[in-house]
Amino acid sequence: MADLAKMRNEIKKIVQRDDVKYVIGYEKGTYGWRVSPSFARTPEEVDKFIFSPLCVNNLAVYLVLEEKLPLPKGVEEEKKKIGIVVTGCDSRSVVQLLQEKAISRDDVVILGVPCSGVVEPKKMKEMFGKEIGTVAIEDKGEKYVIVIDGKRREVLKEELVSENCKTCEYQNPVISDILIGDEIKEKKKESYSKVRELEEKSTQERWDYWKEKFERCIRCYACRNCCPVCNCKECMAEKTTPVWIRRSVSLSENAGFHIMRSLHTAGRCIGCGSCERVCPMNIPLSKLYKKVEKDVIELFDYRAGLDEEEKPLLSVYSVDDSNEYIL
Amino acid sequence: MSEFEPNIVAFLCNWCSYAGADLAGTSRIEYPPNVKAIRVMCSGRINPMFIVNALQEGADGVLIGGCHPGDCHYSQGNYYARRKFQIMRKILEYLGIDPARVRMSWVSASEGQKFADVISEVIGDVKKIGPAKNINRI
Repeated sequence: MADLAKMRNEIKKIVQRDDVKYVIGYEKGTYGWRVSPSFARTPEEVDKFIFSPLCVNNLAVYLVLEEKLPLPKGVEEEKKKIGIVVTGCDSRSVVQLLQEKAISRDDVVILGVPCSGVVEPKKMKEMFGKEIGTVAIEDKGEKYVIVIDGKRREVLKEELVSENCKTCEYQNPVISDILIGDEIKEKKKESYSKVRELEEKSTQERWDYWKEKFERCIRCYACRNCCPVCNCKECMAEKTTPVWIRRSVSLSENAGFHIMRSLHTAGRCIGCGSCERVCPMNIPLSKLYKKVEKDVIELFDYRAGLDEEEKPLLSVYSVDDSNEYIL
Repeated sequence: MSEFEPNIVAFLCNWCSYAGADLAGTSRIEYPPNVKAIRVMCSGRINPMFIVNALQEGADGVLIGGCHPGDCHYSQGNYYARRKFQIMRKILEYLGIDPARVRMSWVSASEGQKFADVISEVIGDVKKIGPAKNINRI
């Protein structure tokens, strides 16, 4: 993990630039160990920035969330850059946004931070009970050193780290203007073991598995709202002309919503795991999106969020695509 | 109890499959009456949500008909469709919805007999796996 003082220094330099509007980073949240996104417009505001394994939010979503009101005639839009602190997976979301022309490269200053995995808030909650006091956490390779209200405790990284981070292949940012901290040499390999495990079951068993999950869904759309690639201004889930998915929360509509979202993110999902993290009903969404990711790699040898010049998966075709399923 | 008769919704492209179905009719080729044809301008126009909605509304199987590769009236629509539905079938299979319910076929305007064969095959397959109940709207 990057040195905090050095990081703040770098960010201060960026905030002071004339062409930069603000920098998005992390600050200490209101309760306990929670971390919330922070927006710094002045160097003083940068002093509250933090960076620790608890910084789980994918900040790339804030690049497209900003509301742009219509301007009066003759008034030019203020063209200023937005700075953003990104880890490996977040940088891939930024590349994905660039690829889809949701943002342009001139509009962002990317501060890359190599990341060796983030803590899963749900596991944290399970381990330490309900919200706890002030927490300092440090990454010591195999272990996390956690200081809670002055008491020191060592926890194996395996037990706390997010599932998606365990098999993350892109720990270093794939795109960055300024890289803070040293690159991570260690390489992990994604084997999709959990997806394969479920694939081997029978059709009925798979349906029983997902049925139980989908019945639980309350369709709060948190998964969609926190997703950096789910940035449509109008979502099909809320359209009324025509109604694609009804408002009622039932197995049928929930399944429809999840099929729709998994298809919409096919070849775009970069596997940050935000959706699963924010799900209040603990639906293993990563297991679904990882499957799509795996299929897309197997079928089309395509990986999302690596090259901003690449064409999106479903807006190109190859005449050599497989014909195996066609009658 | 009488034998299960599946409901099949067929999305047929205007230029090839729909004309193929028409030819099957004018040539008086017999094929099972379980299929409801919906004409779309191109197989690339078919939104995957059409299929989801069809399954929700009580279809037991969905057939997508397009032009042969290279023959698309809009030159490439069927290639896009092929990619889209390949991924979609994989997702449905993973979720436990039998992919045999969502089939795709290339039928040209002169292939009346092939259209009848494809319909029979789809219906035969869906009969084997039984009615679709997974994501039905109640």
